[in-house]
Amino acid sequence: MAKSEVAVAGVGLSKHVSKRRDVNIAELVWEAVSACYENAGLKPKDIDAFITGNMPAFEGVNLPEEWGAGHWGAYGKPLLRITTGGTTGGSVAHGGYYAVASGLYDTVLAIAFEKQSDGNSTAGLNTVAIADAAAQFALGVDPAFLAAFGGGAVGVAVYQASSYMKSSGCTTQHLDKVAALCRNNAALNPYSHLKQPGLTPEEVAKTVLLQHPIRFGHVCPATDGACAMLFTTGEKARRLVDKPAYVLSVASCSDEAAMVGIAGSGTTNVDPCTQESCKIAAARAYELAGIKDPRKEIDLAEPYAPFAHQMLMFYERLLLCDEGEAPAILDSGSMNLDGELPVCPSGGVISTNAIGASAMERVAECAQQIMGRCGERQVKKEVHKAVAHGWGGAVNLNVVAVLSDTPRR
Amino acid sequence: MDKEVAIIGYAQTPYEADAEASREMQVLEVTKAALAAAGLKREQLDTVITANNDYLDGRTISNMRLVEPSGAWQKNESKVEMDGAYAALYALMRILSGDHGIAMVVGESQASVYGGYIPGTMMLDPTFDRQRGLLNEVSASALQARAYMNACGVSEEQLAGVAAKNLANAAKNPLALRADGKADVKKVLSSRLLYSPIRELMASPLCDGACAVVLASGKVAAKSGNPVWIKGVGFSHDSYLSERSLAEMSSLKDAARRCYAMAGIEDPASQLDLAEVHECFAHEELMAYEALGLCAAGEGGAFFDSGTTSMDGSLPVNASGGALAANVACAAGLARIIEAAMQIRGEAGDHQVKGVRTAVAHGQTGICAQENIIYVLGGE
Amino acid sequence: MAPNEGQSRVPRASIPFNPVFGWSVGNWMEQFFDGMKEGKILASRCPACGRVYLPPRMICERCFAKAEEWVELPETGTVETFTEAHVKLAPNGTFEDIDGPEIIAMVKHDGADTCIAARLEGGGVSVGMRVKAVLDPSAENVLDLLAGYRAAE
Repeated sequence: MAKSEVAVAGVGLSKHVSKRRDVNIAELVWEAVSACYENAGLKPKDIDAFITGNMPAFEGVNLPEEWGAGHWGAYGKPLLRITTGGTTGGSVAHGGYYAVASGLYDTVLAIAFEKQSDGNSTAGLNTVAIADAAAQFALGVDPAFLAAFGGGAVGVAVYQASSYMKSSGCTTQHLDKVAALCRNNAALNPYSHLKQPGLTPEEVAKTVLLQHPIRFGHVCPATDGACAMLFTTGEKARRLVDKPAYVLSVASCSDEAAMVGIAGSGTTNVDPCTQESCKIAAARAYELAGIKDPRKEIDLAEPYAPFAHQMLMFYERLLLCDEGEAPAILDSGSMNLDGELPVCPSGGVISTNAIGASAMERVAECAQQIMGRCGERQVKKEVHKAVAHGWGGAVNLNVVAVLSDTPRR
Repeated sequence: MDKEVAIIGYAQTPYEADAEASREMQVLEVTKAALAAAGLKREQLDTVITANNDYLDGRTISNMRLVEPSGAWQKNESKVEMDGAYAALYALMRILSGDHGIAMVVGESQASVYGGYIPGTMMLDPTFDRQRGLLNEVSASALQARAYMNACGVSEEQLAGVAAKNLANAAKNPLALRADGKADVKKVLSSRLLYSPIRELMASPLCDGACAVVLASGKVAAKSGNPVWIKGVGFSHDSYLSERSLAEMSSLKDAARRCYAMAGIEDPASQLDLAEVHECFAHEELMAYEALGLCAAGEGGAFFDSGTTSMDGSLPVNASGGALAANVACAAGLARIIEAAMQIRGEAGDHQVKGVRTAVAHGQTGICAQENIIYVLGGE
Repeated sequence: MAPNEGQSRVPRASIPFNPVFGWSVGNWMEQFFDGMKEGKILASRCPACGRVYLPPRMICERCFAKAEEWVELPETGTVETFTEAHVKLAPNGTFEDIDGPEIIAMVKHDGADTCIAARLEGGGVSVGMRVKAVLDPSAENVLDLLAGYRAAE
């Protein structure tokens, strides 16, 4: 049991768009950080430690905080860098939780970001595959073959989507529906990237087919953006804000790393839709949070879903229903903003994906929904407990956090 | 901190210029050895924190392929993209939170795989310095060395003396890469001049290797054979290299202040028995003497000349040979923690210093030691 | 079996991989480069503490205020520290010898609180030496507008 109650007392986001050529990396991050300070009513002098992270392959900058952290108020302060690929933002948020829960630091600013426009995203993601490619060259696989089949995240996602659809009965219409739901939610979120108010599933179905079953409309954009969250003790949070969001628990789980595979499939040694590590992390997080029945006790979910099928797949892997049930729950309207268990009220990663920040933005949305600060996209029901998720690595890393309007007992 | 978290096992690979084994095999080797030393099975680990760097690994998400060799399969794992001494800090936070009881900490990289000093240049301001091509880890450190020497009246002979001391100490450390029992000032000063005043033997050799530490909560550690307790930790971040005074290590000074307050150290020179310093360059050890409060500000050179920090002095520094003997990026600071723990346990073999009860271990990340972390460790 | 027994040397493959990056420099650095084109050295000053940043920064790290005051600094400054480079970093990450040492200096312009690392032209250097910027407003690459420094008369 944590030494200190941990709570979120502020959230800050930068503008999220595809290309921010007017600011450099440090300046983009400053937007989120300064919004967070303002939001929590604090100044850099009030911060005891900083946790930061991004996925550096996208910017081509190693340890960007070395020249950038002065823009974030970290001058002369303890600073810890945590990076874990797609889960980075979630891992940084977990770092914020542990820093406070350890009793070592009272007030911690967690910062996650990505400025994808400074680099070439697919090149960045393909470096995931590169060491595996080396192994395959050694086995005599023709590099031209690898190039023709491509890699990157879309490569993994199509195999995952097909596998999920086969096992769950999810149809392409469900994928269209997920995309429409998320993009409509995003239209109500001032910090989202792709805003498509009134988008219908039928319109999504008409977008270009990239690789069966994934259409252009089912895929996240590449975003420049940053997110900052203020973690502090429950006691201090109550002094800072009317309604803090308490972090009940965090848990991560790392599974067997998939060989990315000759076609970027991620299927050589694991089925990418199984996501056993998500189930393990979720079960551990619920246990630590004292949640016995997540289906009844969780009010809101922010799964990490850059591809449409993942919203349903991870809803299941977060133990919010039986496997194969999510498509029907989507059809029931339960996942809508006014539903019983709203999912991705922020618009989700499918609408906004500043990679290193994305998994933190899931935690941030849960916190803000609990704090009642979501404006037009505030869900109808009262949110007592929410679950935030991040996914990445070679389809093998999952991070889960549970937040609540009341502290852990 | 009093008996809350302890080191209960550790292991290092030999440090090599070009290791036969892959990084995964090196990590597996140290993880298994550290678990065995702690008398634990993989199943008993609650969390695993690795320290590595995407640019050093040559692929992004450098931790994702270390899941199996680091013992993290289906466990709560994360990665710190800094020196392993920071990974130990994150593991410490996790244990202190009460959510975890036993943690594996791993630091690793292979210089034979990454492009030497190229990843270091990627830390420079991309809007200016990086694109102008003048600065790298060595040239920037040369600027720091000159600034320090000029401010504090330190000579090239004194820098060479530090290198000679550490290389001679390393001759008794079987894991060291660069070692020379006959190293002296003359030899160091006749080594290849890179960026004045830095010569080859005053710069740490990049190399391949891995090390691992098992940390445990007080409850678990009390039952283990010979725990080395973490009595204090402090870390801090300094400004970018062109925006601060290069003549002092202010973030190390700040880290030391925080750490000593936690550990109850008021007079480091008399309360500490040994220091393991992560000196990427010879001058950094002298600067660290000052920042760690082992001597007064500006007295680093004279303090070295007094012999206090040599093997037979009252406060030996880098009995292992330090990073000048082997500098595995992301592991060298964690290795300092291990070396300090070995000394406290009396397990340092030929380079054992007598009667070490309390020791300080230092790690750093960034150009010109921009970020620093220190620990005070102690035995029963 | 000994740990490494039976292991043959790990096969290695080098993969040529050169992704292209295009960093946004931000408005502050853009103004700095625009100034250089006109032969002006523009620094940003923090309105709260007066700290002057050259190259300019948007945020003052010391007090977190926007450093939005612009000041034109003289071409003169002082060498804070220097090194004689006997090598250069080769693309493979190792150091190659160069002909004769080249001086790299950290220069603090008069009126600035931060430094610029640049080449020092002409021989002879010491800490505290007075220097003058060598500007080349016709340089094609904005990064070469500040060619370096030389001793001030």
